[in-house]
Amino acid sequence: MSRYINEPITVHVNQELRPTAFIWRKRLYRISEILTWWREAADWWNGEPVKMLIRVTTERSGPATFELCRHGADWSLHRLLD
Amino acid sequence: MSFIHLHVHSYYSFLDGVAGPADLVERARHFGMPALALTDHNRLTGAIRFYDAAKKSGIKPIIGAEVDIEGSFHLTLLCKDQAGYSNLCRLLTAMHCSKQRAGPTATRGLLAAHHSGLIALSGCRRGEIPSLLCKGDRRGAALASGFYREAFGDDFFIELTRHPAREGAPLCYLLSDFARGQGIPAVATNNVHHITMRDYRVRELLNAIGLIMPVAHLPEPRTVEQYFKSPAEMQRLFKDFPGAADMSLEIASRCNLELELGRSRFPKFDLPAGQSAAGFLRRLAMSGAERKYGTLTPGLSARLEMELTTIGTLGFCGYFLVVWDIVRWARERGIRCQARGSAVDSLVVYVLDISTADPVHYDLLFERFMHPLRNEPPDIDLDVDRRRRNEVRDYICQKYGAENVSCVATINTYLARGAIRDAGKALQVPQPVIEEACKGIHWLSASKLIEKAQTLPELKDSTVYKRPELKEFFRLCAAIDHFPRHLSVHLGGLLIGDGRLSDLVPLEPSSGGDIISQYDKDDIERLGLVKMDLLALPTITVIEQAVRSIKGNRGIDIDIDRIPRDDPAPFAMLREGKTIGVFQLESPAQREMAGRLLPRDFDDIIISLSLVRPGPLKSSMDKTYLARRHGQEQVSYLHPELEGALGETLGVILYQEQVLRVAHDLAGMSYAGADGFRRAMTHDRTQEEMDKMRISFINNAMRKGVKRGVAEEVFGQLAAFAAYGFCKAHAAAYAVLSYQTLWLKCHYPAEFFAAVLSNQPMGYYPPRVLAAEARRSGAAILPPDVNKSTDLYTVEGDAIRVSLSQVKGISREAVASIIQRRGEAGFTSLRDFVLRVEASQPVIENLTRVGALDAFGSRGEMLAELPGLLQLKRRKAGAGMDLQYHEIAAACGAFDSQAAKQSSSPCHREPEGRGNLSAASRLLRHCVPRNDIFVRTDPGTKERLLAERELLSLDLSAHPLDFCNLEDGFIRIKDLPALPTGQVVKIAGSVIRYQTPPTRTGKRVVYIIMEDGSGVADVTVFSDVQEKCGSVLFRTAWLEVRGKIQRRGPKSLSIIADELRPLKTR
Repeated sequence: MSRYINEPITVHVNQELRPTAFIWRKRLYRISEILTWWREAADWWNGEPVKMLIRVTTERSGPATFELCRHGADWSLHRLLD
Repeated sequence: MSFIHLHVHSYYSFLDGVAGPADLVERARHFGMPALALTDHNRLTGAIRFYDAAKKSGIKPIIGAEVDIEGSFHLTLLCKDQAGYSNLCRLLTAMHCSKQRAGPTATRGLLAAHHSGLIALSGCRRGEIPSLLCKGDRRGAALASGFYREAFGDDFFIELTRHPAREGAPLCYLLSDFARGQGIPAVATNNVHHITMRDYRVRELLNAIGLIMPVAHLPEPRTVEQYFKSPAEMQRLFKDFPGAADMSLEIASRCNLELELGRSRFPKFDLPAGQSAAGFLRRLAMSGAERKYGTLTPGLSARLEMELTTIGTLGFCGYFLVVWDIVRWARERGIRCQARGSAVDSLVVYVLDISTADPVHYDLLFERFMHPLRNEPPDIDLDVDRRRRNEVRDYICQKYGAENVSCVATINTYLARGAIRDAGKALQVPQPVIEEACKGIHWLSASKLIEKAQTLPELKDSTVYKRPELKEFFRLCAAIDHFPRHLSVHLGGLLIGDGRLSDLVPLEPSSGGDIISQYDKDDIERLGLVKMDLLALPTITVIEQAVRSIKGNRGIDIDIDRIPRDDPAPFAMLREGKTIGVFQLESPAQREMAGRLLPRDFDDIIISLSLVRPGPLKSSMDKTYLARRHGQEQVSYLHPELEGALGETLGVILYQEQVLRVAHDLAGMSYAGADGFRRAMTHDRTQEEMDKMRISFINNAMRKGVKRGVAEEVFGQLAAFAAYGFCKAHAAAYAVLSYQTLWLKCHYPAEFFAAVLSNQPMGYYPPRVLAAEARRSGAAILPPDVNKSTDLYTVEGDAIRVSLSQVKGISREAVASIIQRRGEAGFTSLRDFVLRVEASQPVIENLTRVGALDAFGSRGEMLAELPGLLQLKRRKAGAGMDLQYHEIAAACGAFDSQAAKQSSSPCHREPEGRGNLSAASRLLRHCVPRNDIFVRTDPGTKERLLAERELLSLDLSAHPLDFCNLEDGFIRIKDLPALPTGQVVKIAGSVIRYQTPPTRTGKRVVYIIMEDGSGVADVTVFSDVQEKCGSVLFRTAWLEVRGKIQRRGPKSLSIIADELRPLKTR
């Protein structure tokens, strides 16, 4: 079951620019594992940058996984997968 | 940790690749890859330049292709060796040449027949096995792999391409499992289409152009991952598939193709029994020389001997015999053809009747054409009668085998206009924006567009280039600048192989049906194949037709090769600049040169052709030569030794052959060494190389007693000139044709212009200008007539009858039908014509509107009568009945008031032509006749003129300016010569052509050729006026020009523009 969220988030990254934590709805989520990542072609003719999607688990989310999306300098929580 | 990309597309995948071969090689070098493959779609067009670039970078080139196979699947093929390369060439040729509507496809039969020496990878996700596995058809995949393993044995691999996506990479795992299960090794690839990830946008843009759809409609799945990933990235990506990335190294190690480039491969000539090529060539040359010269002088014999020895030593005898045989065959069938270019420097070429200019008479140097130090095959280019060129081509195919002959391809690439139009459509840029962006662009590369739009006067006032929302659009246009768009047929290049051509060159049919190579002329040259330029030259056709017409019309036999060269009349005409229609002498620059040079004899034509070249003009040698010629400057030489070489051109270096002579006479070089010196100076060279040449030249000259300063100055002149000088041999060959056409125009203008008009397009000027010039030369122009006109322009007394082929929309079949059905008696009425001729209603309407049926009644009435006649004809033809007179009469009388209304409508239709025609139409719409400086015409003339412009591209009844209500003070072009130099004049007319030749200062000068029906004027627009009138340049078909009369020579005349405006009428 996945829910489309698409809400902006603040992401902390380490020196290798890998996300380590993010803040969503004023709560901090520490990333425990990056499960996978991929890039998606965008509607570049409308000025959209390539999207990078990162699927992560967090310390407090149990089995739920989060799909973080980076587009340019911005981050969003794309989906939540229960 | 290493990896080699084995599945890589360049922009030679034609709209499915973003990088050039050299860019890919550079990327591979950057990543330290020891080898790299190129696998473009179904073509090897980029292979030779890829091979060269890779070799130069110390990277092993692996040549291959991604081929389409049965079932619309893909398969990646790589050449292991020469056998593999030949098989791939043959396979691609067979795929293209046997293609059905679906495009080139390799059947299993073809793959089985051409597997040897090839490695096969199972392909991208569109491969047969991946596609079947995706559908869950594992059994089908196993059967398919069985075929590939049988065909390619251990050289078949499962290709793993991993592009991470939301759903993971299931196909990669499926393929890996499958490979393991089948015992087939797997190899990692990335199906590279662009260098960096960001370039995926350009690739998608190209895809959209290729698919003729907006980018927003591109089919899924789309990916950004097909970029040139580093070995580390690929190893990381395939860490779950042990050995897959490393397998790329193993496969690369099996690919060891060494192309034998640079070795000449001549076609084999069938010799008479017991003859050697050298012996046979000698025999032919000797008999030809005796025929041309009678007794051979010692000088002639020595020269012939020297040339034959050189040709024999270099192994070129067979090639000369091949060319000799082609020319002999053509001449025997009355097909005029002759050599041009440096081949004319050769006495052997002349005595074999391949060329028409005597190299001994014109003091031409064989070494400019060929010498032992020149490591290149000779290049004998032939000009052939255009109408009969295909007969010669067919003979070559028949003689050397169709499978061994092809046309050479030209790679058409994007410039600014094409990029804007194609990218604009794909990005759904509004059409008016596209049109605005294209307007005013005159030979500009897309990558320089935005930069030039800020400086070029004709572009900088346009806001389209400054609109922020279009910035990305123009950036994308620049990104596809010079990308290959499609292959087409090289104008004259014909390839003759030394065996089966498709062993070495993949071939395919062009859109016109000719078989063409997938390589262009440069790659063909690298492969050492002989390319023969068999150029269809309409001038030769013109001469042939004019001579025949003179015979038919006047009963005079003319041997055009023996016309007197000291006839004063043609030279008088030349000096007046009346050369429109004359080969090579009709351009504005040549007409002006004629007025400055004042040619007196044939040699002056050679000089004129050579003077109007970028080299002499940029170095102002034309001025020096002309000043010396007219006694305004003393003839002098930097050293007395130079008089021999430069005496004929009054101390000025004009010909490439003179560079050889100067180097020989002053620095003691052999002619062969001197040609090497000349060629070295014409190519890009480093300062170090240049210094070496200079020191060597100066030292050699000083050893001969020449002072250092003189030697340095001479070297400077040679260095400046070498790159731009003209080959005298070529000028001499073309001067023959120039003089012949000049002579014909002078003495038989009707026959000459009838032939020129029959062979359009050719030369500088459109038919309406040529027809006007014919009238000025004394030949009236008669409208087409269904009872008199033929498929060509014909001559009636001293008048020219317009051909039926000139009528817009008329087919060859319709013309043939008219000529055949009119018989001896001719047509007697419109009814008679309609009933007997197979032509469509629009064609008959067009014929009526241009006056081809005027003998049968008024145009309006005939146009009204036509539908009824055609209807009756159809009805009766359907019933298989003959038409009875009363039925026809009834049909003719059937038109009523409604039909009567229609009768005038065709004449009032808006012209549908483009460019100048539409502009003429717009111009006329707003004009009323007025008793002005131009003649008053009857009201019907305007409609006639519109029809003539639209349907014949001619002005027969009048000229559009005759209707213009111009302001006072305009001068007709024909009256300009009577006005004094420096006088300010205003002229009006249509633009024939804009030109921007290179200039000495590098500043752009725009030359405009204009006509107003009374003559042609040359207008020069310098940069200050370009700045002032930029919005008009290249955009306007009708102009008003105000400027000063300039005369740079006694007979030359041009206008230096002060102001340009679109033509307006009161």
